[in-house]
Amino acid sequence: MEVLFLKVHLRVFVEVENLGKAMNALVDAGITGFYVLEYKGMSPQDWKGFSIKEDPKSAVGLIRDYANDAMLICSVVDEDKTDKIVEEIMESLEGEKYTILEVPIKRIIVNYKQKESERAETWLLEKEVPCFYCGENAVQRIRIDMNKAKIWCTNCGAARYYLVKGVEKEEK
Amino acid sequence: MVVKKWKLEKGASCYNCGDATIHDVEVDQYNIKIRCRDCGFARFYAFHMVNLPDKK
Repeated sequence: MEVLFLKVHLRVFVEVENLGKAMNALVDAGITGFYVLEYKGMSPQDWKGFSIKEDPKSAVGLIRDYANDAMLICSVVDEDKTDKIVEEIMESLEGEKYTILEVPIKRIIVNYKQKESERAETWLLEKEVPCFYCGENAVQRIRIDMNKAKIWCTNCGAARYYLVKGVEKEEK
Repeated sequence: MVVKKWKLEKGASCYNCGDATIHDVEVDQYNIKIRCRDCGFARFYAFHMVNLPDKK
């Protein structure tokens, strides 16, 4: 017997003012992660009977003047939980304008940053001392990367550069 | 160019042991030394060049 755990890409299109309501409904229904897109949209009834001039200015102008601000909330959910989630949204958005799409997902590939590059972060430090060059008591910023470092004065801009020389494992 | 030695600290994930630890950062005129307080792993940087603006 083949067991398939299907996933669904759930897309909920709502008007801006209903974003909070829709998101609360999704969270109540048990979604774990989501992403939100802000977009300009026109529904078929607004669009009906329209024909636009084809120059870019008119096309962009039309979107600016007639399209509505709307939000798209997307989430990847288990197929068997989809119905419950959709019901929850329909209940909380009753009487409002919305569109829900359920798109089956064939495959999901998630890649994470490699640990090495994660650790190779840049450090920023500060120290307030008289600058070696301008002599003012000013914040000296220190930026340390894996292979180089820079120290500069926030007052005069004098900068010193350092290059990595080596590593050493010392005793504790 | 006379610079007193600075002793600073930075909390970060160690490149060697991977733990979130305190690193001692020692800066002087010619060298920077960064040492993980937990595993003792240290990185050294050497002075390379200086870029000075025009004095006002």
